[in-house]
Amino acid sequence: MKFKTLTGPYLRENQKASVIMNHLMLALIPIIIFTTYKNGYLPYREGYYDFIMIFYPLFFIAIAAITCVITETLFFWLRKENVWETLKKSHAIFPGLFVALVLPINTPIYILIIGCLVATIVGKLIFGGFGYNIFNPALLGVLFVMSIYGATIMDSGGYLNPYEADTISQATPLSTEVEGIGGYSSLVEPYGQLSDFFIGTIPGTVGETSALLIILAFFYLAINRMIKWRITTTYVATVFIMTYLIGSLNDFGAWYPLFHIFSGGLLFGAVFMATDPVTSPTTPVGQLLFGLFLGILTVILRFLSPYPEGVLTAILTMNLLVFILDKIGRRARFNFAHSAFGFIIAWILIVSVSLLVASGFDRDSKDDDFVINEIKEEDNQVIYNVSQRGFSGWIEAEVILENGAIVDFIIIAQTESYWQRIENADYITQLLEADDFTEVDAVSSATITCDSLQAILQNVQEDYHE
Amino acid sequence: MNRGVRLKKTSKKLYPLQKFLNPTKIYIPLIAHKSENLTVLVKKDDSVIEGEMVAKSKGDFRIPLHTSISGKVLDFTEKYYLNNQKVRCVVVENENVDKLGEEEYKLNDYTREQVINKLKENGIVGLSGTGFPAYVKFDNDLKTLIVNAVESDPDTMADAALLNEKCEEILEVSDALVEIFGMNEGLIAVKKNDWADKKVINNYIGTYVKLKLVEVPDYYTAGWERELVRRVKHINYKNYPTEKGVIVCNVATIYAIYETLKYNQPLIERIVTFNGDKLKNHANVLVKIGTPVRDVIEFLGGTLPGEKMLIANGPLMGASIASDDLVISSDLTCVSVISTQEENIESVCIRCGECVLVCPAKLSPVLIKEATETAAQFRPHKCVSCGLCSYICPARIDLRTKVEKAKEDKA
Repeated sequence: MKFKTLTGPYLRENQKASVIMNHLMLALIPIIIFTTYKNGYLPYREGYYDFIMIFYPLFFIAIAAITCVITETLFFWLRKENVWETLKKSHAIFPGLFVALVLPINTPIYILIIGCLVATIVGKLIFGGFGYNIFNPALLGVLFVMSIYGATIMDSGGYLNPYEADTISQATPLSTEVEGIGGYSSLVEPYGQLSDFFIGTIPGTVGETSALLIILAFFYLAINRMIKWRITTTYVATVFIMTYLIGSLNDFGAWYPLFHIFSGGLLFGAVFMATDPVTSPTTPVGQLLFGLFLGILTVILRFLSPYPEGVLTAILTMNLLVFILDKIGRRARFNFAHSAFGFIIAWILIVSVSLLVASGFDRDSKDDDFVINEIKEEDNQVIYNVSQRGFSGWIEAEVILENGAIVDFIIIAQTESYWQRIENADYITQLLEADDFTEVDAVSSATITCDSLQAILQNVQEDYHE
Repeated sequence: MNRGVRLKKTSKKLYPLQKFLNPTKIYIPLIAHKSENLTVLVKKDDSVIEGEMVAKSKGDFRIPLHTSISGKVLDFTEKYYLNNQKVRCVVVENENVDKLGEEEYKLNDYTREQVINKLKENGIVGLSGTGFPAYVKFDNDLKTLIVNAVESDPDTMADAALLNEKCEEILEVSDALVEIFGMNEGLIAVKKNDWADKKVINNYIGTYVKLKLVEVPDYYTAGWERELVRRVKHINYKNYPTEKGVIVCNVATIYAIYETLKYNQPLIERIVTFNGDKLKNHANVLVKIGTPVRDVIEFLGGTLPGEKMLIANGPLMGASIASDDLVISSDLTCVSVISTQEENIESVCIRCGECVLVCPAKLSPVLIKEATETAAQFRPHKCVSCGLCSYICPARIDLRTKVEKAKEDKA
């Protein structure tokens, strides 16, 4: 009798790549529902939205997903491939979903679409499609959008939904000039308690705020062997250890490391973005090192650099190094000593970066927020050139006094996120015209900037009278 | 560091042991330790009696091959071997000549040198699939004997059947070997959840002071020599376990040694598992080496209708054979007749790293697949072809073939 021959094995585990992606989708659904509640239902309940706007977050996410699918369809159609078959294997929806979940809810739709196009085309298709990309496509798209349209996004509302915009003065917990430096009162209290961070009713991007749901998703995916859990755990543990060191050296207490883990995109990045199978190491030791260095980079970017998006930049940077980590990891499988060098460097960095950050931690005192650059005296006028710390940077201004009274107030340079609102309200003029500028009401959603502007005048007056 | 994979058994019950010892013709495959370089010692029309040597390999090991029935040498022909290639065979027609009266020897009368000579003369080789001659393994300074009753493939039960049937004999010869070679201990390794095996061994093991039952967890590749030594004795070795004074023998090999020492019987029989969803009756069959698989399948009641495939040596490590013209050689443990599978369609690698986690040889199959020219650095020669990487791959990439190719390129 003749038999058909095939190369083996003839027994395969009943798990396909597409099943993994379905589980990932399933893990994202609670997060999408939560953001609909937080960014759609809550503002509606408080009367900021029409009923239909409850579904705006869903619409926002759907637009992103559809953009990505359409882009890939067009791409395959132009390349004359079998569109349906290729599309099934390409998992086109995910870059879109992640772009939407990592951007602020107030991002104008055209910017969202640009982000998705960059994610799909630059991040994925030009590398050869799903499975061949070096960088996480979604993060590449978000980085592009944030660096080019960052100001536009902030002007159109940024991270705060309308309800939050009225109740919370500061954009996100990590949006001060150097992220995450300060005490409990300035970091946590503006948003409630640490439990709000855990549940997710704080400002932030669309999908990243609910630590609870992300942790649940992590356990679901890890138990079903869908993600590389080593990356997530070492990443979060490294950030915890470093911020714990920094916190304890400054007597901050136990809330401080937790604040750092629950705020910003750290958990979302660690669970969903860093573990993206295509762009992360395949070897166990490589994954451990990947997580360690992600943690170190994130802390460095949060504390020592003025740029936002620490998690995003850290992951994209480490994506570049995956092949080196895999090389180390591959050798370490035969002899663990081959990877000792990597771990030693990681631990030296963890300790030294923590100490460096902790030692430079005296920016809290109020005195440093006001600097007099120059005092000129012309006729009977005194011209003060001063700098004052504002909401997201320094405000440089000129104040002109005549016989002890303020006659003019000129802003020379500022980097405030919500400056547009100050201008719209003509706040400067209000300050000048008021009898007592301390009684002028702050512009809503820009209270910190308003306080800073008042502080300039107050500080100048005090200096003059001395 | 690797994560074992637990494979599901299709049958919880042990297949019955049947005997098929009287084939009309046998075809002794002229292959020993995967080498066809042999001296043939018989010619056409010679009369041979059971156990007579028909060929001897030429290499370092000089493994003899014996005829498993008495009769007349009809011809030389070509039959299928395990690797789906044809191999030259001696055809012997069964003339139903009664075997000569059996002489019995006492196991404990043997000296070390006599045992080694006996194993060499009677061509005892590893019956788990390697075909490595046993006398070479025993000719070392030995401290520990491990009897390997851990079957890796989930549905291969030849060793379990043998253990159930011949437990006393196996323990007896193990103890004798421990004594003769001055070893410290003999360990019988079984899977933790093989309750039946454990029960039958525990019935008899009490008599032997130096024998011990050891358990290993139930996962695939737990029966691999290197893994077993590591788990049971916590020893790592370079090439062979005998370097560290450990000898690992499969249950079937140990029983073959028993037959050799007790009855001076060369390696002419073994137990083969016949299973698969297209086979009417599943069984462990005691067969003469050289029996065509077709005869055994007919003896078992034939196959079910429909498209079928024939797999030799289990679904993970085995190969599919183009015809049932396959002959039973000493390294065949399992024959499966299964329904035809679809051609495997590979999708894109998502780099999930599962193949790295499961590889028992600590290789990184995904990286070997990606590196085309420098694959030699990845030590592909360590691959044991267990097939787990292909089994686990969610993109259904045939990683085993790719690693094996890198292995060949290096050689």
